[in-house]
Amino acid sequence: MDLTFTAEQTAFRHQIRDWVAANLPPDISHKVHNALHLTRDDHQRWARQLGKQGWLGWAWPKEFGGPGWNAVQRHLFEEECALAGAPRVMPFGPVMVAPVIMAFGTPEQQRRFLPGIASGDVWWSQGYSEPGAGSDLASLKCKAERKGDYYIVNGQKTWTTLGQYGEWIFCLVRTSSEGKPQTGISFLLIDMKTPGVSVRPIIMLDGGHEVNEVWFDNVEVPADQLIGEENKGWTYAKHLLSHERTNIADVNRAKRELERLKRIAKAEGVWDDPRFRDQIALLEVDIVALEMLVLRVLSAETAGKQTLDIAGLLKIRGSEIQQRYSELMMLAGGPFTLPFIKEAMAAGWQGDHVGAAHCAPLASTYFNYRKTTIYGGSNEVQRNIVAQTVLGS
Amino acid sequence: MNFDFTDDQVSLRDAVQRWVEKGFSFERRHALAKAGGKTRDVYREFAELGLTGVAVPTDHGGLGFGAVEAMVVMEELGRGLVNAPYAAAALVAPTLLAQGDASVQATWLPRIADGSALVVLAQQERGARYRLDAPSTVASQAAGGWALTGLKHLVPAGDEADAFLVPARVGPHAIGPVGLFLVERGRCTVRGYPTQDGARAADVSLANAPASLVLTDAGAALELGLDVGIAAACAEAVGLMDKLVALTALYMNTRRQFGVAIASFQALRHRMADVKMQLELARSMSYYASLKLGEPAAQRRRALSQAKVQLGQSMRFVGQQCIQLHGGIGVTDEVSASHYFKRLTMLEMAYGDTLHHLGEVSERMVDTAGVFA
Repeated sequence: MDLTFTAEQTAFRHQIRDWVAANLPPDISHKVHNALHLTRDDHQRWARQLGKQGWLGWAWPKEFGGPGWNAVQRHLFEEECALAGAPRVMPFGPVMVAPVIMAFGTPEQQRRFLPGIASGDVWWSQGYSEPGAGSDLASLKCKAERKGDYYIVNGQKTWTTLGQYGEWIFCLVRTSSEGKPQTGISFLLIDMKTPGVSVRPIIMLDGGHEVNEVWFDNVEVPADQLIGEENKGWTYAKHLLSHERTNIADVNRAKRELERLKRIAKAEGVWDDPRFRDQIALLEVDIVALEMLVLRVLSAETAGKQTLDIAGLLKIRGSEIQQRYSELMMLAGGPFTLPFIKEAMAAGWQGDHVGAAHCAPLASTYFNYRKTTIYGGSNEVQRNIVAQTVLGS
Repeated sequence: MNFDFTDDQVSLRDAVQRWVEKGFSFERRHALAKAGGKTRDVYREFAELGLTGVAVPTDHGGLGFGAVEAMVVMEELGRGLVNAPYAAAALVAPTLLAQGDASVQATWLPRIADGSALVVLAQQERGARYRLDAPSTVASQAAGGWALTGLKHLVPAGDEADAFLVPARVGPHAIGPVGLFLVERGRCTVRGYPTQDGARAADVSLANAPASLVLTDAGAALELGLDVGIAAACAEAVGLMDKLVALTALYMNTRRQFGVAIASFQALRHRMADVKMQLELARSMSYYASLKLGEPAAQRRRALSQAKVQLGQSMRFVGQQCIQLHGGIGVTDEVSASHYFKRLTMLEMAYGDTLHHLGEVSERMVDTAGVFA
């Protein structure tokens, strides 16, 4: 047992740190460090920068052009990016659909789609949830019927994150209504410029346009955009969900945000109030404990061992901690977080802030973060899974 | 960075586990507790296993093992609900002595290593809560030596110990260096009593008791000794919780109500998921505690308080919820779960409770992005 990283791992960390320092545009890290609004262009600039270096698919194996890093190296890369104030890489292309294409796509599909994902040139979206299929994803209804060389897709997807920027979307669609719901699902890649695809915004409680509905009205999808076999899509979707279990805890970002919370608490005068400060101390302990949990999983994965039965805990704890720091930041700002001036949450606003500039986005972020215990499998669904590992049935 | 145990550490764990299975049944524990909680016989068995030398340096006849070995032993003693004062006598006391006067070391450490002497720290005072920097016990220089006057409470296995390590104020001022002294039991008035977990503690009253000086300025040594105690309490709690959760899962799969196993009810399943969360956060922070013991004092102190905050919360939650999940049988004396719960409750208060250590973390908070591990 040893908590320290090896000299090699530390050298690797410094290599990443130096590269990020030299390549992360300061206007972007300024926005991330201050929770200001990120534009499509901000996301794209950082993705392309990583793409040029071959790191946008940082978890990819070498045979597909990735760096071939192990679990600890991936963690160190994620940590250095997060602490430096890099935006979170949009996971839909490099983290979600790419591993499915690698594992189940044809060589032709791999040649066609992977380069655009690796370079950051193509913006991918996710088409999983539907209005009637949330936690019970397998009950999805969006239908694809085979007609000659095409699938004709009809139906609706929802909660499509930043789908307004999307160029391609990977979808779970129903190709059969026979047998169990899971057995009639297929995995399709769809060009969002195809006639019949429309994207409608959903405005969230913080006023932001972050998610969308995507509608399909007789959309013709070439059959060579089906991944693997028809009606086997559920298996591929599960493969996708098995990737990146430690990153979902987002502990690196939590460490960065804890420091922001401390800065805000000092500026707002609650740092010296022991009742408030103890709440920050408790959060600090929570974050250390989460980090140790993550490192235990990483250590097991690096040693090639069966992932411990604790991986399922990471999403629950990580999301609770995200909500907690957003809550404490808002409480630190107090009434000065209550004005709702959207322009004040974007970089470069020249107007007069009510109180300090750092207070402007805090309440909106708090409202926005209620999503974290709902998306990606609600925490109640996660508890069902954890209970099964403890109770054995 | 890895969390693997060496082959030797696995063997050590197996040895303690085998002894618990063969030699420390729940019935034996029950009988010991009923008889008042004296466990010197159990301690002698620790010695036969070689466990009493784990933390004693090799040049004093010990094994000179590290923090991870101590953690492994404590986890297994916890799992077995062993109510003998191993952490106090075999881990904390030798840590304190090893930093002190050479002749006291030479006299006592070999006897601690072979288990023939039981020495424990006697630090608890009525007004001090969990602070060690201002004891009211006073040390004064007498002809050719030192004499101590004061009253210490809750001394583990106090009426079975051979000697006590006693922090005392040196000199006339209330604030000043705290010294550490060794006092033999025969020089004190000792009043023993049973504790909630079926073990024993004692009040130790000192009236000009002749004492050997271990350290004149023991502040730093005491901090380290208590941190060793915290890590041991954390590891013991992990063993206790591990077993208690397993017992509870078994019970939920066996107990039937409304025609089905109660493990099928979602309200109880989600509670169990929350229990598992607290157990694994606790295990993670117990590792952290032991692995941070070797760090420089400032980092070590902070880390050990962080660990105790997590463990304190986990112990209370897991203990309370596992009793609740057992239903009526959980609040009886006959089921072992209630005894695990009581021991966990005591450990929350050992070496500083959750609020005390939260205060310590709060006082030590600095900007630290990225340097926890």
